Amino acid sequence: MFTYQFRWDVVPNNLHFIFSGMQMTLILSATTLAIAMVLGLVIAVLSMARPWPLRAFGVGFGELIRNTPVLVQLLWVYYVLPIFFEFRIDAVTAVIIGLSIYSSSFIAEAYRAGIQAVPQGHREAAQVLGLNQAQTFRRIVLPQAIRVTLPPLAANFVQLIKYSSLGAVLSVGEVTRKGMELSSSTFRPLEIFTFIAVLYFFICWPLSMSIRAWETRLARR
Amino acid sequence: MAAESAEPIIAADGLVKHFGPVRVLEGVSLALAERDVLCVIGPSGSGKTTLLRCCALLEAPTAGTIRMRGEVIAEPAPGPETERARRRVRADIGMVFQHFHLWPHMTVLENIIEAPRLVKGASREEAVAAAEALLAKVGLSDKRDVYPQRLSGGQQQRVAIARALAMNPKVMLFDEVTSALDPELRREVLLVMRQLAAEGMTMLVVTHEMNFARQVGSRVAFMDGGVIVEEGPPRDFFQRPRTERAQRFLAQFED
Repeated sequence: MFTYQFRWDVVPNNLHFIFSGMQMTLILSATTLAIAMVLGLVIAVLSMARPWPLRAFGVGFGELIRNTPVLVQLLWVYYVLPIFFEFRIDAVTAVIIGLSIYSSSFIAEAYRAGIQAVPQGHREAAQVLGLNQAQTFRRIVLPQAIRVTLPPLAANFVQLIKYSSLGAVLSVGEVTRKGMELSSSTFRPLEIFTFIAVLYFFICWPLSMSIRAWETRLARR
Repeated sequence: MAAESAEPIIAADGLVKHFGPVRVLEGVSLALAERDVLCVIGPSGSGKTTLLRCCALLEAPTAGTIRMRGEVIAEPAPGPETERARRRVRADIGMVFQHFHLWPHMTVLENIIEAPRLVKGASREEAVAAAEALLAKVGLSDKRDVYPQRLSGGQQQRVAIARALAMNPKVMLFDEVTSALDPELRREVLLVMRQLAAEGMTMLVVTHEMNFARQVGSRVAFMDGGVIVEEGPPRDFFQRPRTERAQRFLAQFED
């Protein structure tokens, strides 16, 4: 028989504590997204560059990051990087660096797909009319590429919200870590982790749904 | 300035273009004087489009030169002088593509005013006024604020022509501009081109429209295997083709 006695009052009693973790989660994800968007652009440009060493670096970096586990990358940044460079970084910085690198490799792919989705003919039409390369990129390629790239960027944000929970492993006080601490002090893991899962879901799900609606609208244009 | 006007507006001299092992152009020379309408015809793969793309400065020649009013604007290894000349005359060469290539994120009007605003630094008011006149000319005044996807192929191509004309080009290049269109939409595009020719625009037209070449062309060039096999006034070419290859090509169009 299922005899577990639920004690849901641990949740409202510690709501402030849990929400401070959630705040950390969102700050981590947003910071990471901002950095990864810039880093991703650098990698995308490198992987499309003419000189082959640049291209090899861009493509190789992307492949390396996409084909190793993000948790291993985080542990590597936190424990190995300081040995190399002989300085300590705190856990929050390590998580931001690690997740930014991880995310940037996927964002770079989104950028690349977006830029390559613009037909060559659109560029040639601009060139024939006398627009220079910078004008062509800014006025013709970029506005079209951004439309294609925004949904995957938003999807990446959802990924980041979820992956930031890995920060718990490095004792970063985001919401999953707060849950772990709370459950060992109250002995109520079931209620706490259920609530935290639901919390994640109601942040990520609406985001995912709006991305899907957005993509459908773009496809119709 | 008498000497200048004697120079052809645009001329290709011994143009060779290879893509790796593929030899597309094997030495093509042509010259367009003012008001010339040169129609280039020939089987697919004969190098017509590549010739046009070289004249539009979209491809660099493997050998030979492109000149505009006597000034070299394209050569295999362009020096700084050629580069300067190329940038200066870039916008004087208008081109219309087989697949239109209108920019889908801009309305018809925005497509037309983009280059005058950016390249010539025209004010929005003058660019819009000029664009409206051009839209009236191609019969699309009511489509000013519409996005290209909402237009038929024939309408899109007419916008593309207006977009090219907005830069006041000295010569217009047309690359099989009716080939992607349904037969009933071709007429409206050809009509606009006829009108342009009648107004004295210098035109280099790669086409499969034999009637257009016959009626509008001031000269016809027949290309095959990367060279111009035969060139002459349309009447002579269509009635008494001299070469056997041209005769065989024209025989396909007889019913």
